[in-house]
Amino acid sequence: MFIADIKKDFYDVVANQRVALLVAADIDALCACKILQALFHCDQIQYTLVPVTGWQDLSTAFLEHKEQFRYFVLINCGANVDLLEMLQPDSDSIFFICDTRRPVDVVNVYNDTQIKLLIKEDDDLGVPTYDDIFRDEDEEEGEDSGNESDEGSEPSGKRRRFDEGAIERRIERQRAKRQWEARRREILFDYEQYEYHGTSAAMMFFELAFVLTKDTKDMLWWAIIGLTDQWVHDKIPHMKYVSDIATVQRHVSRHNHRNEDEENSLSIDCMRISFEYDLRLALYHHWSLYESICNSYYTACSFKLWTLKGQKKLQEFLADMGLPLRQVKQKFKSMDTTIKENLRDVIEESSNKYGMKDIRIQTFGVHFGFKNSFLASDMVHAAAALLESTERDENDPTDNFIKALDALSRSHLDRLLSGIDLAKKKLIAIQQTVASCICTNIILSQGPFLYCYLMEGTPDVKLFSKPLALTLLCKYLLTAFIHSTRNKRCKLLPLIMAAPKDVEKGTVIVVGIPPESETSDKKNFFGRAFEKAAESTSSRTLHDHFDTSIIELKSEDRSKFLDALITLLS
Amino acid sequence: MFCEKAIELIRELHRVSDGQLPAFNEDGLRQVLQEMEALYEQNQADVSEAKAAGRADLIPSIKLRHCCLLRNQRCVVAYLYDRLLRIRALRWEYGSVLPANVRFHMSAEEVQWFGLYKKSLASFMRSIGGQEGLDVTQDMKPPKSLYIQVRCLKDHGEFEIDDGTVILLKKNSQHFLPRWKCEQLIRQGVLEHVMS
Repeated sequence: MFIADIKKDFYDVVANQRVALLVAADIDALCACKILQALFHCDQIQYTLVPVTGWQDLSTAFLEHKEQFRYFVLINCGANVDLLEMLQPDSDSIFFICDTRRPVDVVNVYNDTQIKLLIKEDDDLGVPTYDDIFRDEDEEEGEDSGNESDEGSEPSGKRRRFDEGAIERRIERQRAKRQWEARRREILFDYEQYEYHGTSAAMMFFELAFVLTKDTKDMLWWAIIGLTDQWVHDKIPHMKYVSDIATVQRHVSRHNHRNEDEENSLSIDCMRISFEYDLRLALYHHWSLYESICNSYYTACSFKLWTLKGQKKLQEFLADMGLPLRQVKQKFKSMDTTIKENLRDVIEESSNKYGMKDIRIQTFGVHFGFKNSFLASDMVHAAAALLESTERDENDPTDNFIKALDALSRSHLDRLLSGIDLAKKKLIAIQQTVASCICTNIILSQGPFLYCYLMEGTPDVKLFSKPLALTLLCKYLLTAFIHSTRNKRCKLLPLIMAAPKDVEKGTVIVVGIPPESETSDKKNFFGRAFEKAAESTSSRTLHDHFDTSIIELKSEDRSKFLDALITLLS
Repeated sequence: MFCEKAIELIRELHRVSDGQLPAFNEDGLRQVLQEMEALYEQNQADVSEAKAAGRADLIPSIKLRHCCLLRNQRCVVAYLYDRLLRIRALRWEYGSVLPANVRFHMSAEEVQWFGLYKKSLASFMRSIGGQEGLDVTQDMKPPKSLYIQVRCLKDHGEFEIDDGTVILLKKNSQHFLPRWKCEQLIRQGVLEHVMS
């Protein structure tokens, strides 16, 4: 059931209890977790934090902790599946689920006792009404047996007539039931067909903090990072991002107006969050402008930097703005201040000439101390790179989780900076892979979708065995493909990408993303499609990730799985 | 040269990093005591000869041996005393039950001394702080908060705390627990205090 009053129904309930936090492995969940941890520290609510990376992890963690905890808070996991059936909990376990994944499973919505959803009820959900899906079986039986007992007491003469009547009624009832069930299947199919994302979990928990008036700038910053994560990893449409930014902007203004005037200005060491209408160049403050332009997907795809013509265009672009190459290739922080002053406006003007209308995006930045200023997207890239780093061979995913969690707090700047370095490497790797894929034409149109397979020998292919990195690569590749192809029809197709996940076990990770369009609502139908295709070909798949559009597949079954998908979707 | 063995003992203690207790060097101690005995015998002989035969030229060698004896004594006492200080620190670090590998390094007398020290500390703690006494070995630095956030560094299995609740300590799980329940484990290195 949906929680109406988050303070009364959630926070006060767990106030004196020990809580288990099961947190999924994405940046929004990490931010939400940090906000909740800060609240729990304030009120001294004891908790245990367990990172989970998939359904199996979730089940294991639940089994291990179910004896000791009664209250479980699931962050960014668990809403889109029938949780009670999967975990088989005792009747006194209570689950608080804050998940951005939609559609929320109907059992989770209509269960009144054990599942509490920390989701706003009007958040664009479209849940089917109760009567459309659930129906009391007992009523029907009662009617039948009532009739039969009536019949039994009638004298035998009239029995035949009544029997006929009873049979007719029963046939009628059965027909109605079949109709109702067909309609139910249809409604459920429509409801569960598309997978998409709702409001960020970090923002939900920030709201909770706001309601408790315990919100701090740190929590606000984490909420901003959570929202930006949804935007960077392409989970929400642009409109929703803009409206959520407006909501956050109100909080930012509120926090910034703290009796600050000429005499009592805040110390430079205090944390300051500011609204920025900044360039859509990834990590450009911590890199050189040139590198950032080459490795951000928006500019790289608009210029088509994998072609020679594209490179020349870039040089023209820089010359047009009057930026000397020497300055542009330097570290951004050491660029001439005269150039840096009007940089954003100059770039916006020039990019309009080159067809890049949205080079600037509304976002937020944080400043603390003299040296440290970060944009929200910088932090998202850094944390995502840390979360999925493949630096050392034996990487325990929980180790990476802890590192990424640390990077989000202000006291671990060294972690954050190492994350930024990793993110730079990741972006360069993505760009190079995109360039090679486009140049070697390995993106094939399979009819209803585009398909690309990364061979095992591709450089940095280890990076792409992780879901977030592969999704980012997918998105960039699709944008690049749209810019480079002339086939009008192909521009509207979705993309499926497969990359080797574990060479020893011979598995590949398969990701599907919806087609790219101006008004895309980011609804992904690949989840159901993958399930059906796997069933029909009995391929050995593992649907372990919380996103149903990301699966693991045995390499040998790849071709038959694909064929099944093609037939399914055409 | 005289007194070298004694210096060896001291160097051995000095080499081991602070706080750790190396094995009790029975052999080294015995050698030093033997040397002292030998020196003493020689001195006795020389003193009686000097007195009897009036040989004043033996006096410097007697003095030398006497100095060596004093030095040996000082070194041995310093060795034993430093070990006792380290054992005392162990009580504050590990609690009243020492891990087996540490106990293995102590001599029988040291174990006995440790027992007496424990009793003495316990009776002191019982005498202060009202009815139940006060455990002064906890909270050696003033605590900043009642509850602390800890991270588990290795799989430790289930951990039961005084009010009966059981916590599963799995690697890389984080917990928010009352301070006094975690201190033992932090000292043992199973948990790590996380400051955010």
